[in-house]
Amino acid sequence: MRRLYLYATAVFWLLVATVASVGHWWPAADPAGPPAGERTIPAAELARHSLPDDCWMAIRGVVHDLSTYLPEHPSRPSEVVPWCGREATEAYDTKNRGRPHSARADELLTTYRIGRLTEEKP
Amino acid sequence: MLKSTLHRLPIPLLLLTAAVAPVYWALPEDLSLPRSLGIILGWAGCGLLLGSLLLMLRETWLSRWLGGLERMYQWHHRAGVVAYVMLLAHPLALAADSWPQFPAVAWQTLSPFGPGWAVRLGWLSLLLLMFGLACTFAARIPYRSWRWLHASLGIGVLLGLGHLLQLGIEEPVLPLLALATVLLGWRFIRDDAGLAARPYIVQTATPVADGVVEIALRPLAEPIAAAAGQFVLVAFLASARFRGCGQFHPYTVSSIGIDGEIRVGVKALGDCTRHLQSIEAGVPARIHGAFGSFLADRPAAPQLWLAGGIGVTPFLALLRAGPLSQPTVLVYLYRSEADAAYLPELRALAAADPLLSLHAQATGKQPPDVASLLPATRGLSGSECYLCGPPAMVAAVRQALRWRGVTARHIHYENFDFR
Repeated sequence: MRRLYLYATAVFWLLVATVASVGHWWPAADPAGPPAGERTIPAAELARHSLPDDCWMAIRGVVHDLSTYLPEHPSRPSEVVPWCGREATEAYDTKNRGRPHSARADELLTTYRIGRLTEEKP
Repeated sequence: MLKSTLHRLPIPLLLLTAAVAPVYWALPEDLSLPRSLGIILGWAGCGLLLGSLLLMLRETWLSRWLGGLERMYQWHHRAGVVAYVMLLAHPLALAADSWPQFPAVAWQTLSPFGPGWAVRLGWLSLLLLMFGLACTFAARIPYRSWRWLHASLGIGVLLGLGHLLQLGIEEPVLPLLALATVLLGWRFIRDDAGLAARPYIVQTATPVADGVVEIALRPLAEPIAAAAGQFVLVAFLASARFRGCGQFHPYTVSSIGIDGEIRVGVKALGDCTRHLQSIEAGVPARIHGAFGSFLADRPAAPQLWLAGGIGVTPFLALLRAGPLSQPTVLVYLYRSEADAAYLPELRALAAADPLLSLHAQATGKQPPDVASLLPATRGLSGSECYLCGPPAMVAAVRQALRWRGVTARHIHYENFDFR
């Protein structure tokens, strides 16, 4: 058991270091491509839109205004509203039992896109 | 044979159920292979950790049902390490999902520096499990520090469940969090704080060899039920003239009196047991148990008992309980006469009981050649062999017995290793 622990821990850190070093230098993915002239939204501005009727959410670095969609969302408001005004990629990818949203949801999400999340001031 | 197999089944079945049930609930559909694997590994690891928590409880009824405390602890360690490996692989598999096309997204998935407490709690949980297991495997840490460092694993489990809650998965996680809290609290309050133990007081303390003292404990309330071959967990508390150890340590019972008096043999192996060599009458203690079934259900066949050092204690308890009913050879190995606990009493018992044959031998500081100390193959035919002593000696004797044709089901042993 001790040997299993040592080998597993060593392999884990090796793989984490590999993913970190490659992922850090790799250009960020944006399969859909950002719309021309898309605005950048700082985290502080995102945080100001954290109410059910004024709900912005950042998913994979893209900010969406979901205020009008929220009443149509199938989940209970208590599960979705806490993510308003926040980076919600992990919640989006693990909505229930650890499963991600469907491709249909991904497509729907793009219609609410309003900008890119940035740590810098606009 | 069937009884022995049934005896071994409950723990593997319990752990299998603990791992499979949450996976069945969360079984992924229509997802990529790495993502499905990540989800399955996460839930199976979580279930195994909860099963492992159940196996750390020290309850006599539970240990009887699950095949003994030593067996529970072996599986507690195995399940914990396997769960840890699964949980290490869980985030790597999730990151592998986007690795081929988007390595940057893979790192965003894995990175502990991203936004949100879900990933941070997951990392904190993994790091605590990593730290706790590293301490578990570090044999040189004193037991007093070791047990607190080992407890960090429990906090790691709670943080792991917090990671799931942060992901918004409340439906099964809140009951699982309640279960984990109950199991950890149960262990702490009933076992570590001693709520499940009974009050006793030290009656006498008699040196029986160099660095070995036999302590007699008188019950102050209803005594525990114990039998020869069992061990108890004892915490020696402080008195006006004695600094207590506080922690519960396992000691083999050397005698059970009709008035509920329990005697235990204590060899100076660590800080606490060295301190106990100078214990006096009147020191309060708490006893939890008894545990183990080492000498229970012995068949009527001839017996070979092999004891190394203080490992003679369970055999002595059986001999003190009354005359033997089957021919028995007791091979007692010790370093020198001064180290041989209970030797004069064993010689007197062998002289009085025609069914008992005692072979007492000083081995010196070198490991003994166990093969030369065992009876010939013919002498072992039809015998039941019971071994108690240092793990290395027990392993060597088991090997020697197998070479002489003794099958595993006729070889009985306990290691009494509780780290």
